[in-house]
Amino acid sequence: MEIGEPQELLNPQNTTETEGSEVLAAVFSPLVRYDENKQPVEEAAESITTSDSKVWTIKLKSGYTWHDGTPVVAADYARAWNYAALQDNAMSSSYFFGRVDGYADVHPGEGKTPTAKEMKGLKVVDDSTLEVTLTAPFSQFKTMLGYTAFYPMPKAALGPDGKVTQTFGEQPIGQGLFKLDKPYKKGTDQTIDLTVYDKFPGAKPKNWKKLQFKVYTSSETAFNDLQAENLDIHDSLPPSTIATAKSVLGDRYHDEPDAAVGYIGVPLQYNPEFKDPQVRKAISLAIDRKTITETVFSGTRAPADDFINPAIPGYRQGACDACTYNPAEAKKLYDAAKGPKTIELGYNADGGHKEWIEAVANNLRANLGIEVTPKPFEKFQGILDALDAKEYKGLFRMGWSIDYPSAENYLTPIFGTGSIGTGSNYGGYSNKAFDELVAKGDQAADAAEGLKFYQQADDILIKDLPYIPVYFYRSNFGYSSKVKNVKLNLLNQVNWVDIEKA
Amino acid sequence: MYRRACMGRYVIRRLIQAIPVLLGATLLIFMIVFALPGDPIAALFGDKRPDPAVAEVLREQYHLNDPLLLQYWYYISGVLFRGDFGVNFADVPVSQVMAGKFQVTLNLALTALVMEALIGVGLGLWAALRRGKATDTAILASTLLLISVPTLVTGFVLQLILGVKLKLWTGLDIFPVAGTFAGWRSYLLPGFVLAGTSIAYLTRLTRTSLVETLRADYIRTATAKGLPRRRVIGRHGLRNALIPLVTYLGADLGNLMGGAVITETIFNLPGIGNQLFQSVYLREQPVVVGIITVLVLIYILANLVVDLLYAVLDPRIRYE
Repeated sequence: MEIGEPQELLNPQNTTETEGSEVLAAVFSPLVRYDENKQPVEEAAESITTSDSKVWTIKLKSGYTWHDGTPVVAADYARAWNYAALQDNAMSSSYFFGRVDGYADVHPGEGKTPTAKEMKGLKVVDDSTLEVTLTAPFSQFKTMLGYTAFYPMPKAALGPDGKVTQTFGEQPIGQGLFKLDKPYKKGTDQTIDLTVYDKFPGAKPKNWKKLQFKVYTSSETAFNDLQAENLDIHDSLPPSTIATAKSVLGDRYHDEPDAAVGYIGVPLQYNPEFKDPQVRKAISLAIDRKTITETVFSGTRAPADDFINPAIPGYRQGACDACTYNPAEAKKLYDAAKGPKTIELGYNADGGHKEWIEAVANNLRANLGIEVTPKPFEKFQGILDALDAKEYKGLFRMGWSIDYPSAENYLTPIFGTGSIGTGSNYGGYSNKAFDELVAKGDQAADAAEGLKFYQQADDILIKDLPYIPVYFYRSNFGYSSKVKNVKLNLLNQVNWVDIEKA
Repeated sequence: MYRRACMGRYVIRRLIQAIPVLLGATLLIFMIVFALPGDPIAALFGDKRPDPAVAEVLREQYHLNDPLLLQYWYYISGVLFRGDFGVNFADVPVSQVMAGKFQVTLNLALTALVMEALIGVGLGLWAALRRGKATDTAILASTLLLISVPTLVTGFVLQLILGVKLKLWTGLDIFPVAGTFAGWRSYLLPGFVLAGTSIAYLTRLTRTSLVETLRADYIRTATAKGLPRRRVIGRHGLRNALIPLVTYLGADLGNLMGGAVITETIFNLPGIGNQLFQSVYLREQPVVVGIITVLVLIYILANLVVDLLYAVLDPRIRYE
């Protein structure tokens, strides 16, 4: 199995990037996993119940043990979550716990000292029961629990100083399907070797026991290794290899919706020229998404037609009218709304965005009759800094990959008023009606009920276009003739249990 | 005896001279990495905005809020007084990050160097002795091709043909596509790719150098004395022609170590070039500076060895 080098040591609470998460998903068993209907179902949890979406009772399945043999108890979850939330520990996943009651005490913000070490919202009732109280009701809480940050942590992970030890980061003790054979020395080791954990109570792979992650710095090289059958699974084929992959791998090449979205961001807060929604609509209508996804991305992206991605429940095909290509209408609208005569398109030059931004620029030039200048920034952070400093007033490239598979995750973090400054609302969009609908969705009695409100909030975005959705990502994966039945879950992680040796 | 004592002093003086060079180089690199745009902590969070409180704790932890010179002092005092190269952003000691990687790059660079010496000098000799004939023209033309095709292209093409296709067609796994799992075989293909342009330059240099030497008066004298051609070329011609070649090879070892970035990425070798690229990208000052320090050291040592070899080849050269 191919991966890139994990950014951090293998500590669930400090891993928010895909490479490390892929490894951890093999070592840990989440409370919920996502089934074929994209719904969360209990995995390590026996049941997850609530009556008001505010107080959640998590009962653990019995039979789970840590890889060192000790049983998994509710306190292991409380320990992990408290550790992640505590500001002093500087864990990158801390914000996942922002909805838990007492988060503000352990994570008061920049320049302030925490007044508590543990969140009062986490209560260990007995060895198999954990009660979580949220600050406000959140109907999607159960969906969140499949994420890396919510894995438990054994007592052995912490050293005498109360911090996660380096030993644990190199060879995490999990409670999942696979056990690490030896410590992974980040930066030196080219492989991470694992073996099926005998005492794992859940389903196990049929006819194999050993799993090896091979670390590649170049995705193209990994693809060559796959062709030469030195590698079995490659789950992130780069666009340059797609044509070859289709012909070489045949039906061993797959592509599926990936939950990420690519946008053109609008600096609403900084540039009044884009204030009129009609201007944004005209720009959106002028973008030929189909050609861009097919030509520039060789079909590794799909044209966006909603703010919610097709991989996630709540997506509605064709929901975004303004996402269809209509140059004539665009020109008419743009002239009527007196859109700006010159536009800058900012992008980060380090991530392969130049080509599609140029394509969008050409669309806008040709269809709106305006001057468009693509503006490269070295890194994405450069765009954000320039936006914060109000130096940059142009449109900018944006991308969003989900943290947990809920429609809500496409709304609050990027468009909620509360996410300006601290969250990822870089455009500074603020709409009271939108915030209220999202809040209603959060407070709904169950996830399905909540979804209705989220879709109404989504409708507002489609009308307002605070960002212009351009494409949905797709996962392009392939595998060797030595394995079969390779599938990815909603988090783009390989489903190990189903795979069989061919 | 006199000569050896003199040489020892020379070596020590050269090594002492290396100290200010090293300090200057590290400070310079420190400043350059510092001047790169973007916040290194934010880079850890990809496209997402880091929680300001978390970012603050991390910045404090890695001294990123301190002035540049103070940061440099923390770093260099650690290196000088405790032999501690600091940690990267995943809290892994830089010395550990570097340890295994230099071995990989050194293996790669030496493979390349040997190939350079064998193929480059060999072809150059052949061309020089057949000057003006078809062989000479063919060799010159092929070196031109080798120089003009970028490493990236040679790398991927050879990997595909020799690594992937050869195995699929013949079932023989001779040239591994990626990694260092197959021992020295792993280094053959990347070594050749890395040496590519140098082989071409060395061929041309050998040819020119030898042609020049063969025109010299002492060669005519030797030939006139009736010495066999093999002896004239071997003892008199080649020995003198070697001086520029040794200079080139010595300086090239440093180049190869540093120039391994592309090759190591294509063949997925966990070497220093690969690491340097990633660390510059992540703005990991301690790692970048650590690697550069060692590279500078290797450069200095390689040059010293070249200077010492001069005297072996040409006794007229004296150390001062």
